Amino acid sequence: MLLRYIARRILYVIPQLFGIILVSFLLVKLIPGDPAVMMLGPTASEQSLAALRDKMGYSKPLWQQFTYYIGAAVHGDFGSSWQTTRPVTEDLLQRFPATLELVTFGLLAAIAIGFPLGVAAARLQSGPVHKFAGYYRLVAGAIPDFWLALVLIFVFYTRLGWSAPPLGRIDMAVAPPKTITGSLVIDSLIVGDVGALSSSFGHLVLPVLTLGIVNAGPILKMTQITMTRAFSSEFVRYAEMFGLPRRVVLRQAVRAALPAVVTIISVLYGFLIGGAVLVEIVFSWGGAGQYAVQGVLNADVNPVLGFVVFSAVLSLIIYLVVDLIYFALDPRTRG
Amino acid sequence: MAESTKPILEISELWVTFPAYRAEAIHALKGIDLRIDQGEFVGLVGESGSGKTTLARAVMGFVPPPGRVERGRVLFNGRDLSHLDDDARRAVLGRELAMVIANPRAELNPVIPVGRQISNVAYYHLGMRRAETDRLALNMLRAVRIPDPERRFNAYPHDLSGGMAQRVAIAMALICSPKLVISDDATSGLDVTVQAQVLDLLQRMVGEKGAAALFITRDIAITAHFCSRIAIIYAGEIVELAETAAFFERPAHPYSIMLLAAFSHSPALRARWTRVPSDGETATTGGCTFAPRCVRRQNRCVVEAPTLRQLTGGRRVRCHFPVESDTA
Amino acid sequence: MSSVARSGLVPPTVPRAPKGSEARFQRLRFFFAILRARPSFAVGYGIVATVAIIALLAPWLAPYGPVTADPSVYLLPPGGNHLLGTDGTGMDIFSRVLFAPRIDLAIAIVGTFVSATIGGGLGALVGYYEGQQTWRRAVSTMVMRSADVLQAFPVFVFAIALVAVFGQSVKSIILAVAFVNTPIYLRLMRIQVRSIRQLRYVEAAYVAGASDLAILRRHVIPNSIAPLVAQLSVNIGWSVLLTAGLSFVGAGVVAPTPEWGSMVAMGFQNVVTGQWWPSVFPGIALCITVVGFGLVGESLEVLLDPERRHVLSGSLR
Repeated sequence: MLLRYIARRILYVIPQLFGIILVSFLLVKLIPGDPAVMMLGPTASEQSLAALRDKMGYSKPLWQQFTYYIGAAVHGDFGSSWQTTRPVTEDLLQRFPATLELVTFGLLAAIAIGFPLGVAAARLQSGPVHKFAGYYRLVAGAIPDFWLALVLIFVFYTRLGWSAPPLGRIDMAVAPPKTITGSLVIDSLIVGDVGALSSSFGHLVLPVLTLGIVNAGPILKMTQITMTRAFSSEFVRYAEMFGLPRRVVLRQAVRAALPAVVTIISVLYGFLIGGAVLVEIVFSWGGAGQYAVQGVLNADVNPVLGFVVFSAVLSLIIYLVVDLIYFALDPRTRG
Repeated sequence: MAESTKPILEISELWVTFPAYRAEAIHALKGIDLRIDQGEFVGLVGESGSGKTTLARAVMGFVPPPGRVERGRVLFNGRDLSHLDDDARRAVLGRELAMVIANPRAELNPVIPVGRQISNVAYYHLGMRRAETDRLALNMLRAVRIPDPERRFNAYPHDLSGGMAQRVAIAMALICSPKLVISDDATSGLDVTVQAQVLDLLQRMVGEKGAAALFITRDIAITAHFCSRIAIIYAGEIVELAETAAFFERPAHPYSIMLLAAFSHSPALRARWTRVPSDGETATTGGCTFAPRCVRRQNRCVVEAPTLRQLTGGRRVRCHFPVESDTA
Repeated sequence: MSSVARSGLVPPTVPRAPKGSEARFQRLRFFFAILRARPSFAVGYGIVATVAIIALLAPWLAPYGPVTADPSVYLLPPGGNHLLGTDGTGMDIFSRVLFAPRIDLAIAIVGTFVSATIGGGLGALVGYYEGQQTWRRAVSTMVMRSADVLQAFPVFVFAIALVAVFGQSVKSIILAVAFVNTPIYLRLMRIQVRSIRQLRYVEAAYVAGASDLAILRRHVIPNSIAPLVAQLSVNIGWSVLLTAGLSFVGAGVVAPTPEWGSMVAMGFQNVVTGQWWPSVFPGIALCITVVGFGLVGESLEVLLDPERRHVLSGSLR
């Protein structure tokens, strides 16, 4: 039954994916800017420009370009970026792990901040913790992440000198470890390369802190709401009537509130893949989002398309995984 | 009535009040006195809004805010539960004092199998190992006659019908062999046949364990079955308290008669004991609260509230003009 | 009358409902009582009012012009003639911070309203028609699927792409903001309409022969609109952040027009070398503004939901 559900979901995903690619393709084609001119420079002759355009396939009708693109995409070929002169697939494969590392650790930080605060605020309906949680929610959603990043850089790097310079994921002088998971920190840990570990970790701290602080807000809010509802729900009162110890009741309430919290975490995760762009830019992280933004700003079409497709696929996978987790956590959905 | 045994429940002069926004406070319970001896079955009958559920919650120490106990006290086994600290109270609830409520499906945890929930009550109170409490829970499922108990052990609340969920609630309440079981309208909402089964079950199991029971209901006919004493509650006050047999032979309070008449087959009888108050007519402060609906009311009833006084045969009635002779 | 009333537990009087201008006055008093009870709401309204006033009166409030650059005083720390200091090209930061909300608020408000109107309108139609078996249902489904697709896009990249397509101008930023926000209102309205549609008085109007449009206009929409209004305020705040983000990467408001996000971008390099004021102050202004709109949104959530309003009023006095 489970396999059937997964199969059904994947089937449902395909037209969605198609729609996404179609819309982004059309959108991206509308972006003004002649890549041929950008590649060869303004002094290039009309002949060479025409030849280049022809070679890149821009002179063919739109629908032909689209079918060609889809055909190539299915084989994993997303064209090349004229900025990096490399296949987009290669570029993305190199950059996505950076984004994923940042987003994953950032989300973990956000959960570490938001979840306990939410539970505490739900338990104590008044008092300083509750108030603080309320303010935090409000302010965290109002802070621009790129600005917070700058402030943190200023405090911890410029003034205190504690953290590494905001340039990339690792010191340029330090050799990165062998690529196993794609995450520099984890790979250094696995391989046991202390130098790379401390350097990559040092570079990771500030951006993760930025993402964590800002994104803890929605997690806090959802946790607080569902936990409050769980605490005042009837089965909690019922458990209290039977004299179950306080911590057991708490655990049961958390269990019941978990599905909603997991949902919001997954939504955040999908959002952050494209939404961490600004932080990536501030820290020169070399992530996929940064790559896509550069593509847009320079009318480099293929990276943008490739990024959109990749992140859409990732989001859909995440949603599927989350639904499965929901299945496991909440037996009511199985009935 | 043996005075040497300590009563399991002793309610004295209990007043519970709910403050109202910009209005007079509502007295949900007014001066309730009730005593239940060990092993005794007492029925409490009243209509919706009479305060019976508030009384049940007050006994457990759980008056829902913003209500509070204004006066009087409740002693369970000699101890006032509302004065205990949280841990001490939790040790008592579910173990020595348990409640079975109506329509428990919403109150059961939706993500935990029911067998586990029954087992939890034993596990956290009796200090036994999980395997033992699970076995105990399974036995309870058998005892409450749930069909296919092994499979149902792992079922979730939403998989069960109303009647089965009720049996699960009974199992949870009785697994620690409490000394007092409160049944709060536990059979309302069930089909009539299921109702009868559940009642029998409750009576048997509570009796087997030698526990006392406070059987709260809206349906007076149920109490005739196995309660040794009956209390009638109206508008937060006990209006009649009598031994069951004597009560059903001759109820004394006009309200009790009205309740019984409602079940009779004679419309004339019903009409004779029911009075519909005219529009805008309410009980006067200081007067009997039942007066607007009483067919036997006199002027004295409107100005002077009756107290609970003793009649022949040990019964108590809150009425100036109770029915004592054969006038039915 | 209920037996409870008969038994004398509850006084049977029913309060008289006020009418007309008396009702409006009552509502205003109620509103201020709420503000007093919940000071955070009052702060929110205060902030929004202040920012709006600043935006309107900036030319009179600011000591310098929005793009007046005096290279001889570049990177002066806060104090003296320049309350918040100057940036790398010698422009006064305080004045620019005051002028920025004109653009930011204008874009956010217009964009949000456009998305609420279009999204809400579409959502109402979809919610109303999707139960029916006609071609309208197919169109509804298509609209919803398109919304799904739209929402699957990485928001920020999508916004940048839109701006790139339409050329970098205020209009295109507004369009981008509107595009990105429309699915939210579409979904919100759809859910509301779906539940209202099934209510009895809507059925009654239908049976009485009212046209679909009239039903929508008179019965369905007015009752569905409350959550959207609450969402509007929060959305405006978020749209300000989006505009700032776009300007930060250079896909938004073109420098040197004062805009909080682009101001942060301009001061980026300076922060690393220790001159924090060109970037920090605009960010603080951003935070405060968005917090204000968020608080207003929270207050609207409570005020527009009858249940929560009653709970709140119960705790007054």
